[in-house]
Amino acid sequence: MRRFLLRLVFVLTLPAILLAVWWAASDSSTDVYWPPLRTILKTFPDVWTVERLRTDAVPSILRLSAGYATAALVGVALGTVIGSYRRVRAVCEPVLEFLRAVPPPVLVPVIMLFAGIGHTMKILVIAIGCVWPILLNTVEGVRAVDSVMAETARSYGVTGLARLRHVVLPSASPQIFAGLRQALSIGIILMVISEMFAASNGLGFTVVQFQRGFAIPDMWTGILVLGLLGFLLSVVFQLVERRVLGWYHGLRATTRRSR
Amino acid sequence: MTFVKGQGMLDVRGLKKVYEGSGRRVEAVRDLTFTVDAGELVCLVGPSGCGKTTLLKCMGGLLTPTAGEVLLQGERVTGPPPGMAFVFQEYGRSLFPWMRVGENVELPLKQKGLSRSRRRELVADALRSVGLADAAGAYPWQLSGGMQQRVAIARALAYEPQVLLMDEPFAAVDAQTRADLEDLVRGLWRERGITILFVTHDIDEAVYLGERVVVLSASPTVVQEQLKVDLPDDRDQLHTRVAPRFAELRTHVYEQIQAAKRGTPRDAPEDAVKTDAPPPA
Amino acid sequence: MKGLNLALGAAGLAAFLLLGEAVPRLGLVKDAYFPPTSRIAGALGDELADSAFWTALGDTLTGWAVGLAVAACAGVVAGVVISVVPYLREATASTIEFLRPIPSVALIPLAVLLYGTELRSVLLLVVYASFWQILIQTLYGVQDVDPVAEETARSYGLGTWARIRYVLWPTALPYVMTGLRLAAAVALILTITAELVIGAPGLGARIAVAQTSQAVPDMYALIVVTGVLGLLINVGARSVERRALAWHQSVRGEVAV
Repeated sequence: MRRFLLRLVFVLTLPAILLAVWWAASDSSTDVYWPPLRTILKTFPDVWTVERLRTDAVPSILRLSAGYATAALVGVALGTVIGSYRRVRAVCEPVLEFLRAVPPPVLVPVIMLFAGIGHTMKILVIAIGCVWPILLNTVEGVRAVDSVMAETARSYGVTGLARLRHVVLPSASPQIFAGLRQALSIGIILMVISEMFAASNGLGFTVVQFQRGFAIPDMWTGILVLGLLGFLLSVVFQLVERRVLGWYHGLRATTRRSR
Repeated sequence: MTFVKGQGMLDVRGLKKVYEGSGRRVEAVRDLTFTVDAGELVCLVGPSGCGKTTLLKCMGGLLTPTAGEVLLQGERVTGPPPGMAFVFQEYGRSLFPWMRVGENVELPLKQKGLSRSRRRELVADALRSVGLADAAGAYPWQLSGGMQQRVAIARALAYEPQVLLMDEPFAAVDAQTRADLEDLVRGLWRERGITILFVTHDIDEAVYLGERVVVLSASPTVVQEQLKVDLPDDRDQLHTRVAPRFAELRTHVYEQIQAAKRGTPRDAPEDAVKTDAPPPA
Repeated sequence: MKGLNLALGAAGLAAFLLLGEAVPRLGLVKDAYFPPTSRIAGALGDELADSAFWTALGDTLTGWAVGLAVAACAGVVAGVVISVVPYLREATASTIEFLRPIPSVALIPLAVLLYGTELRSVLLLVVYASFWQILIQTLYGVQDVDPVAEETARSYGLGTWARIRYVLWPTALPYVMTGLRLAAAVALILTITAELVIGAPGLGARIAVAQTSQAVPDMYALIVVTGVLGLLINVGARSVERRALAWHQSVRGEVAV
């Protein structure tokens, strides 16, 4: 119980101090760009009504989910194929390295040429931007399946789909999750800027509208919402990762201790 | 049993393995011929780096020999045969860390297409045989090294093989665990009548475990000598290891391995040891 | 073997370029949207001959380098201080976990208001995004310090500064290098983003101009340039990282951030 309280103190103290400092420092602020925190918080419930969340937050999140899921499926599937064959890998690697190195935001003008400015464009931008880290990490993970594990599987007749499902993909999963994690931050960036470029709804669109209309406190609440969304997605990701990779964290903790 | 009497359970004939890669040519195994009879426990010893693992992988169908052949019950081995189970030295890398102990043992059985109830039965029985009945729900990495190797042995047992191939399985565990595991293997062998081929670099272990010891030469490998271990069937760590006969046998094998390292062709058997090893086929 | 892989890779690249030539020529996609490779190459040639292109490239590199340098110094110093001062790590953990996933693009409206299209706009985004990469890796690195080495240092009476210099820093260095590699890539993404969205001068702004003026081949040529830039940064950062790792005996997995 005491330890729990102590932890709670550690978790809460600094955020509380930071918020208090922000509150106090901005309280008498007359700078239009730095409105008092009090004003921002008072504006928050007026701006982010249920209606607003439905028209702006939900489409953003849906588009992000669709693009991210597509990227995950395609990335893992293609990565598994490329990683399993040495020759294919040798042929594809330079091209993939180049495509990965292209900063994903430049995709926005390109995809706009093909897909206009609708939902498809944004989902495509997110999918194409997110796919590279997932793909390349999957290739790396599939390639690096331990030789003894591979031989064990072979000698016990574990081949084909069963080998993929029980040996190759689990063994590559830590790498795949590292890729998924990188892709998530890229996905959020692309979600926001594709909406800033061209959209009629969405979080990125709304925040830029506030800024253009000089509705400064409203803009600040938008920034807070985007931050909150990033934080929440990261929490969800961590929960999933803990569950799927529980064995991996346990294994690492054991080898670390015995070192 | 469908195999022809007089043929061994396992026949290795003129086996040769040459590794070729990046312009280098390494002859790991030159010409090996020996037989393992059904229900026998044979130990292979040889100086380190003599191609024991290569030989075992050829026998298990994991490597294709350059020349010669391996026959299991008269059938030529071309890939991992369902009647053989492999126990690797690197237990930590041979068990899948993302599966619990029970799932690790069960996976090959699923591949065999056994029913769920039969699988459960085999898994429970195998884990009980190695003394790990309670560990089915644990992850391998939560267990000690010796226990992990027991899981690997249980996985092999549940597979119900005719032949068990063991590649230096106890090289990475501490001495006391090792003694326990040796007794476990001998116990399982006597209880279940499986044919076991046990590769080791430890002379004492080979003599203590084996019914017969096949001594390999240094690389490129040939059979240096075959030696029947005429110790009683009931062996235990305390008495067998101090028996005069045990000492004679291990001295003999030791000398053979020293000779193998020097590259001397096979010596005539010494007077002190009466060998009645079967003549090479 | 290596030669063969190189040849296969070159073949793959050649096939990729050929495909880029063939697909629009065969009319599979409109060449107004996706010009053939040769036309993109031509546009690239024009760009390279234009001094405005080189100014833009210089602007982009400046934003990237300055932002990365600031983030690296701040990240390393903060990481070491947080690890060395007792209880600071526990106290800051929740704050870091909250601030780190906040997407830096959320700051774009603020940057526009405060700095317009100045370099400082770019820097705000770049520094915010890359700072966390370096901070987190530094923290991981310091956590990896062998307790035996630390106790040995203590028992020989090394002071705090000497312990940082001789025990903590050498252990953390490979991690810091990994952080630097990840941050270098992120910094480029954010530099281009800021230029593209806010209009700060640089390659990103040039891409936006090419887009609005319907100069499609030029737009593709500029995108290829950003890709090559990203590739060079990746390769450079990886070779620096490998050098830093060379003496580090344990091969460790990359920490996902």
